[in-house]
Amino acid sequence: MSASNVTATGINRSERITLIRFIGLYSFLVLMILILGSTIYFKLQKDLMLQTKRLELEEYSKELIDGLKLLHIYFDRYRTYPRNSLYRSAIYDADHVQIFSTLKDPQGVQLDKVIYTTDGVIQYIHVLDSYYLGTKYTVVEIDDDKVWFKEAWRNILLYGGVLLFIFMAAGVVLMRLFLSPMREAIHLLDRFIKDTTHELNTPVSAILSNIEMIDQKRLDEKTARKIRRIEIGARTISTIYQDLTYLALDHQIVSEDRDTDVSALLKERIEYFKILGESKKITFKTDIQPGVKLFIDPAKLARLIDNLLSNAIKYNRRGGTVYIALHPKELVIKDTGIGMEKKEIAEAFKRYKRFKSGAGGFGIGLNIVAMIASEYNLDVKIESKKGQGSEVFVKWDV
Amino acid sequence: MGRIAVTILLIFSALQGSGMNIYERNCVKCHENLPVSLDKFFFNYLLKYSSERQVKQALRNYLKHPRRKASLATEELLERYGIMPKSNLSDEELRKAIDIYWDKYKVFGKIE
Ligand code: HEC
Repeated sequence: MSASNVTATGINRSERITLIRFIGLYSFLVLMILILGSTIYFKLQKDLMLQTKRLELEEYSKELIDGLKLLHIYFDRYRTYPRNSLYRSAIYDADHVQIFSTLKDPQGVQLDKVIYTTDGVIQYIHVLDSYYLGTKYTVVEIDDDKVWFKEAWRNILLYGGVLLFIFMAAGVVLMRLFLSPMREAIHLLDRFIKDTTHELNTPVSAILSNIEMIDQKRLDEKTARKIRRIEIGARTISTIYQDLTYLALDHQIVSEDRDTDVSALLKERIEYFKILGESKKITFKTDIQPGVKLFIDPAKLARLIDNLLSNAIKYNRRGGTVYIALHPKELVIKDTGIGMEKKEIAEAFKRYKRFKSGAGGFGIGLNIVAMIASEYNLDVKIESKKGQGSEVFVKWDV
Repeated sequence: MGRIAVTILLIFSALQGSGMNIYERNCVKCHENLPVSLDKFFFNYLLKYSSERQVKQALRNYLKHPRRKASLATEELLERYGIMPKSNLSDEELRKAIDIYWDKYKVFGKIE
């Protein structure tokens, strides 16, 4: 089943939206999990490194304290600070005042901690019981070789990448699993609509052509009226058929654009719809400037006009009027019907929306109008007042 | 009148000239008779109280209220010389003496 097959019901788009949302949510969750995992791993690696270094630093610290003890006892004779090339150190009193320091940067010392890294060094704090020379805290510092850091990052990137790949692969499999029943249902529906649509054409055409062949003058009044009603019904079905075919197939076929006489086409379509308006006693008032041209596929223009006219009749009141005006670059169709509220206008362009649940039709009309309009850069505007009717403006070349 | 002024001046300059400040006049004078020097006491206080603020506070407390329990001196010393007598200096003089004492023996800036 190819993607282009699932367009009749417009599911292709919503399916894509579903897919994108699923992928978005899934990737977000996967990333969160990976980031969380990486953070924990990183922290563990760091703690592990600090644990190892701690033993070494504790040794240094003891050595320093021994040195301080001697210095404390013999301070009247001897004043050289105990240094060692393996580490740097500093001593602080109980009020956190630095007594002496050989640290790289004595600024970043955190006496409330035990062991930590800062600015490329590892510092270890030891709290003394006897304050030699007033020293309560010794700080011992060595350089952080960052080997653990690079290794941790390498592992995070490597294993994180592999995990991400696995997660994503699993995601695709899951998605296919979840979507396949939906896809099958859509496919079925799609085929059904296409087949039925196709099957509709022959009988409807047969009815319409046969009605045309009847010589209505030879019929009595009653029969003629019945025949007319049959014709109305058949034409309505025919319009619906054409809309369905448009949605199912036409708009995917390359358009046959040419210079189309809008005036002539509009007149022809009004003639066609007059008969449909009759049952509601609707009057048509036209102001059509002859010879208005537009470069467009005439079949599509017919769909656009048909849908606007059909709506103007469908949502009109009994005995109402439909005004149709055509000027160069503008087509206006106005009805005296139920009208719409502001938010209904926006909604109106959405497929399958019906203005009034009582009114017939598929409610796909305005959606088709919108699709055709956007293909040809036509500007469609609706002005409407609840209870007074709607006015649709189609403009081009502006 | 002039004579008195001259005498006072002389006494002052004598005191100044010999470099006798409150610490030397009071503490050192008396401690000269003790076998344990004042700097040993100082380092004991440093060992126990660590920072300048705490050392000075402990000294002030001890000098104003010398008690056996609070003493850092050895038993022998206390047996032989008894508890240090309660200081007869005023609060201000005591503060000055302790400041001088601290400055004389503190380790800040002396470690090399
Ligand atoms: C009248 C004599 C006398 C004077 C004056 C005196 N001391 Fe002492 N001091 C002693 C004796 C005796 C001891 C030893 C007994 C003891 O430790 O209490 C002592 C002990 C001390 C100790 C050890 C305290 C301890 O914890 O046991 C310090 C410190 C000290 N003196 C500082 C001073 C200072 C500072 C001054 C000046 C403000 C001073 N002394 C003035 C007699 C004196």
